[in-house]
Amino acid sequence: MVQQEWIPRSVDVSVPSMARTYDFLLGGAHNFAVDRELAVHVSRVMPDARSAARVNRAFLGRAVRFMTDRGVRQFLDIGSGIPTVANVHEVAQAEFPESRVVYVDKDPVAVAHSELLLADNDRATIVHADMRDPESILDHPETRDLLDLDQPVGLLMLMMLHWVPDADDPWELTARYRDALAPGSHLAITHVTADGQDERLSEVTGLIEESRSADRLTERPHHRVRALFGDFELVEPGLVGCAAWRPAGRGDISDTSEMNTVIYGGVARKP
Amino acid sequence: MSSPGSTPDPRPASPDGSRARDLLARKWGYLLSGAEMIPLTAEELERELREQLDVLCAVLTRDPLDLAAVERVGGHVVSLGHVGEDGLRHTAEVLAAGLPALPEFQPAGAHADRITRAIGALATGFLVANRRSVLEQQERMQLSLLKAVRDAKWNLKESQARFDEVVTSSASGIVIVGVDGGLIRVNSAICDILDLTAGELIDKTLFDLVDPGTVGKLRAAMLAVVEGRQDRVRQSQRLVRRNGDVARISLTASLLRDADGEPGHFVVVVEDGTELVLLQSELNRQALNDVLTGLPNRQFFSSYLEGAVRRADPVHGVTLLHLDLDAFGMVCDSLGWRTGERLLVHVGQRLKSLLALEKAMVARFDGDEFGILVENTAATPDIATIAAAVNRELAEPLYVDGRGLALSASIGVARGSARDQDHTELLRAADQALRRAKAERRGQWVLFDPNQDTAARSTHALAVGMPGAWEQGELSVRYRPVVRLSDGVVDGVEAVLLWEGPQRPVAHERCVELAEMTGLILPLGEWLLGTAAGQVRWWGQGGGVAPPLTVAVTAHQASDADLVSRVVRVLENTGLRADRLVVGVPVGVVAVPEAADNLGVLAEMGVRTALEDFGLGPDDLAAAQGFGVRSVRVAKRLVDLGTGRGAGFANVLIPVLHETGVLIAVDGVTTEAQATWWRDRGADVATGPHFGPDQPAAAFYEGLQVHL
Repeated sequence: MVQQEWIPRSVDVSVPSMARTYDFLLGGAHNFAVDRELAVHVSRVMPDARSAARVNRAFLGRAVRFMTDRGVRQFLDIGSGIPTVANVHEVAQAEFPESRVVYVDKDPVAVAHSELLLADNDRATIVHADMRDPESILDHPETRDLLDLDQPVGLLMLMMLHWVPDADDPWELTARYRDALAPGSHLAITHVTADGQDERLSEVTGLIEESRSADRLTERPHHRVRALFGDFELVEPGLVGCAAWRPAGRGDISDTSEMNTVIYGGVARKP
Repeated sequence: MSSPGSTPDPRPASPDGSRARDLLARKWGYLLSGAEMIPLTAEELERELREQLDVLCAVLTRDPLDLAAVERVGGHVVSLGHVGEDGLRHTAEVLAAGLPALPEFQPAGAHADRITRAIGALATGFLVANRRSVLEQQERMQLSLLKAVRDAKWNLKESQARFDEVVTSSASGIVIVGVDGGLIRVNSAICDILDLTAGELIDKTLFDLVDPGTVGKLRAAMLAVVEGRQDRVRQSQRLVRRNGDVARISLTASLLRDADGEPGHFVVVVEDGTELVLLQSELNRQALNDVLTGLPNRQFFSSYLEGAVRRADPVHGVTLLHLDLDAFGMVCDSLGWRTGERLLVHVGQRLKSLLALEKAMVARFDGDEFGILVENTAATPDIATIAAAVNRELAEPLYVDGRGLALSASIGVARGSARDQDHTELLRAADQALRRAKAERRGQWVLFDPNQDTAARSTHALAVGMPGAWEQGELSVRYRPVVRLSDGVVDGVEAVLLWEGPQRPVAHERCVELAEMTGLILPLGEWLLGTAAGQVRWWGQGGGVAPPLTVAVTAHQASDADLVSRVVRVLENTGLRADRLVVGVPVGVVAVPEAADNLGVLAEMGVRTALEDFGLGPDDLAAAQGFGVRSVRVAKRLVDLGTGRGAGFANVLIPVLHETGVLIAVDGVTTEAQATWWRDRGADVATGPHFGPDQPAAAFYEGLQVHL
């Protein structure tokens, strides 16, 4: 028989991937020409976009260490993307080797990459699922195998919820995740905002729309991002530009003030 | 992390030196972490860099200079994180300034050469490690990509296995053949029908199995499918069995295309005539109903319709409604396809119950489309009542997965009454009406209008024939004079299209409208501009007269992201000066950001920009003052303003327009009276049949010379 070739759209390297573009902005090489092209366009509009990516990644490290300091030893990282530098399991297991991490992504390339990277790590795994189906993630055998949902979990949704349009009701979706977690669990979110930004952000949004990627950026104002945390209690200093969330060094902040505030970051605890 | 292998004594010579190294390492770390993603805390990074600095200093104090050790330092810096060119730049700068200032390297001049060589070696090590890291990442990425594709294919294999299962177990003969008819696979049922073994079928073609008397019509039909003239082959055929008997079978062949859309192979299903009868009822049930909703499918509906039209009441006829749920895609996108499927089931049930009192059939077509056939009687409600009832019914929230979803449907309606009417024509008419309904507001119904349909069809036919005509050279550029109203002198030339069409010539305005429908306008418009620009430039060479060239673009062209680059390309290729070109943009599109951008950029380049189809309304007047526009051309429909009731307001508005400093042109002037009226109102130039026909280049130029 003649075999029909069939390649899923997300494996089509002529379509830019947000995860790989982000990796390029971080200085990584886990990307293809089409991703780099988009990143170059973005950088043309927003010359310091690289530093926004770096500042967000640095936030990840601080948020994970904040959680491990409070006894959290298991993590669920939704929308983990392409494993790049300073991944959750690297940060958590560096200090507490017993930490367990479940990554979740819907992009088959990101999943394949994570599987390769995590092949030798029996305390970290990746689940191929869509964030919009919380039960498929929370009830996934791999999740159940690695995480004990009766104990506190560190739930990370970094640079991911702005890809979920209002029509998909991210507030209701995050509530379903929050409800499944035990008291003492923590939720960390970073989210792009237009608060205090000029028209360059909408140009970037436009660039993504014009690209062949199906992803659309939905930036949200402070109160709508705040609402994603629901009744979890935000820890100090609350929901702020992610560079201003407990910065500890030069690497945590950008020289450009807009890049320090274009991404909101916050960590909240389930009472 | 450990420092590189052959560790020389890392300690600085003095406590002072130690403090200086701390400071240098801190500065180095500060600069690095501000530029690159390094997953270390400030203290960790400083400690790492301090160790590397110690290694560097130790090398620098010893002879011979151990450049290999310095290269390892470069490699180590790369390994700290994603460290690339910015990291190297900061490292080189901070060390080039910092090392000579350390106490152990005083006087600085004595060590300058060694420090320079060391920084060079560090850069080398950095580069090698960075390249290796990039290659490793790229390789992992390729591996991931392969893995993702393989995982996807594994899923595909599964579905292929299911397909195999169907083929093997089917009671119908199934043959997979190449486009040339060569057999690729057969199942056991076909072997039974032919009384041959699979082995005996190797190297045979489908045509070898068919009775020579009927093989011709099979070949012809398969060719028609390959060429896209026909969807599938469905024939009564005769196959030759082992003993020479003829088996009467019905044969269906569908063409599967490969990923590039090229014909791949045929799936041929052969049903034994005798078996067929036995299986008829079962097949009917399976093949004629939609699996999801249980409603008849399009095929069933269509064949039922055929009979219904034949037996229709000659007075009341039948009514065919073609429904499409509005915004169904949005439901699926937001709530998932499962919810969408459940919704379709509900909709099907509601439609059925709504029409329970009528002699009606509700069928599911594809996706979110439904068909309803009503066999009318004297008591059947009229179309408006039925259509309204459908939308009222759907507007009642349907509860799916705990959500109340209210829907509306766009409905195309066609009526059939003549007994000789073709049922496929009726289906097409309803579909056509549906498309018009969808083009309007949601939740509308539209009755099929044969006149509108004929006009639309001939327009479509012309539009789709246009690219071919262009390629055949049937389209040409004509030149239209732009005349100064004060003295009648030709002050410019507008390039327009002429199509020596299939029946009669198609004028510029219609050409543009047709090309706009298909998007052909983008390349065609560039060709028009390029040809005309070349012509005008040629006229202008050697001291000739070259009037400025006007080219009006369409809304589509005006907002084309490539408009500017197309214009630049033409100007470069032809050598026409930007200020000799007038690009006219429909005033209605300046509200589109892309079009406004294009206008602005063209004006900045020095191209003269104009607003076309200018309407003298407040929005138009406002547009005339922005975007660097040099002129406006009053719309054709306003050319008779002088004779109508609008004269008064024109007398007020035209001076206002003049004050903005733009030139005023008028389009579509057909009489001297119109020309005079506009001249008296202060219009500058005009175009239109009054000033002569559109002409080929040579004739136009000749006229120009005479005129002068």
